[in-house]
Amino acid sequence: MGAHSLLPFTQDRDTAGFFEAAAEGRLVFKACLDCGHALHPPTDHCPRCGGWNTAWKDAKGTGRLHTWTTVMHQIHPDFPAPYTLVVVELDETPEVRLMGRLQGEPELREGMPMEVWFEPLGEGGPVLPQWKPVEA
Amino acid sequence: MTATVIDDELAFAGRDKAAVVGIGQTAFSRDSGRSVLSLATEASLKAIADAGLTVDDIDGIVRCEQDNVRPYSLAAAIGAKNLHYWADTGPGGVAPCMMMGLAMGAVMTGQAKAVLAFRSLNGRSEMRLGGTGRHDAIEVVGGFGSYDEFYLPYGLQSAGQTFALMARRHMLEYGTTAEQLGAVAMACREHANQTPHAQMNGRPMSMDDYLASRMISTPLRMFDFCLESDGACAVVITSAERAKDLAKPPVLIRAVAGGAPQDHRPGMMFPVVSREDMTELGGRQAGAELWRRAGVGPEEMDLAQIYDCFTISVILQLEAYGFCGKGEGGPFAASGALRKGGQLPINTGGGHMSEGYVHGMNHIVQAVRQLRGEADMQIPDAELCMCTGGPLPIGSSVVFRKAA
Repeated sequence: MGAHSLLPFTQDRDTAGFFEAAAEGRLVFKACLDCGHALHPPTDHCPRCGGWNTAWKDAKGTGRLHTWTTVMHQIHPDFPAPYTLVVVELDETPEVRLMGRLQGEPELREGMPMEVWFEPLGEGGPVLPQWKPVEA
Repeated sequence: MTATVIDDELAFAGRDKAAVVGIGQTAFSRDSGRSVLSLATEASLKAIADAGLTVDDIDGIVRCEQDNVRPYSLAAAIGAKNLHYWADTGPGGVAPCMMMGLAMGAVMTGQAKAVLAFRSLNGRSEMRLGGTGRHDAIEVVGGFGSYDEFYLPYGLQSAGQTFALMARRHMLEYGTTAEQLGAVAMACREHANQTPHAQMNGRPMSMDDYLASRMISTPLRMFDFCLESDGACAVVITSAERAKDLAKPPVLIRAVAGGAPQDHRPGMMFPVVSREDMTELGGRQAGAELWRRAGVGPEEMDLAQIYDCFTISVILQLEAYGFCGKGEGGPFAASGALRKGGQLPINTGGGHMSEGYVHGMNHIVQAVRQLRGEADMQIPDAELCMCTGGPLPIGSSVVFRKAA
């Protein structure tokens, strides 16, 4: 991946836990401890059961490819085209889908198994969970 | 869970009670060379004059929250000294249809007698909505409820890329094809070619032209995208009663409704990727309530202005608002239904794809022209026209009716 100048804000009160875990090499998602509903993007209130008892849960770090697009027209100077955006559905819950980026124009198919890896954005910078196809 | 209680008498209280009585627009271009306040002023003065009113009659102004022109600035610029009501709505392209609701509410509750609704943008020369433009050396993005931190740093940076992800899902699930998307773009282009002020007037497009256009974000090509335009549109709304005495045939606001999708997530457009069904829109919920409030259904529309930021947006909305079944938007478009003479002619001035992109407001102006019988490409005997707003993150819609 190229140089990164587009950094995620990591101190948001609802989302900081995601990036704190990523910095430790862990993938987490927010979930309601009362009814089990997964909450993404994360919130601290569960709209399904009305509870406030939510927490970060560890994910296995595996998922399935839900959809993708290969960006051919460059928008941002630090994101040279072509690159491919992937949307990955976590294996433990279809309620959480996360973004990832692959270089170039890889051959992809719906439902293919994907696994997480962690991309540090520069020295001491934030860390992004990324996704790649599981090696056959 | 709290049950939603809708008092039917109140839901129907607005039916045909307010009317659009004046319309105005600037030229649409790639570079207006003017400020957005100047554009808004021109469109507004034209709309007021079209209604047979004066600036002294305007006592309300509603706008899109993303507009750089503030209601009080516009009042000052046009010389409206009797401003007593103003409001913002949105987000973005969702705004115009909701503005009709704000104006209707203001007029019915005595908060304003005549409301100006406008949208003004230099969407090509100054604030490119396509996401290109100025970038700082280091940018920290997201936070504070935007949730952009989950998307922008990955390179998901535009509406086009987001709709590309949705288009891929629609293709995977329903077999939607490039040619079916192309049918939407071609219908809009055909209508622009019968509309002299449309930006793509005089530039016919064949299916081969469409298919040959370069990929922007697969599976979407350049001609799946709308234009980026500079321009402004404005309309004047007053009570149906007062409208009878004004210059032009009144166009009644039959019903207005917004809606949030069943699996609604916080944030702006990007979180759509987490919806259980990424091809579902709040337009389904907006539409159910719209048709109920209007007392007419999609099959009774003589034409429609469907928010066309992208071709796939139109297909998804045709399904959501009930013009065809789920997954049938592609074949519906390819059947010729969207062209003049078809089952549901859409975007009869060329729409965002080929007339100009005024963030939904040119669709309102076009709907009014058609129901007055003064459109360049007139749909014969048009009496009912529905209009939709931007499809993400929530939907908005209006039914307009020609006054009896």
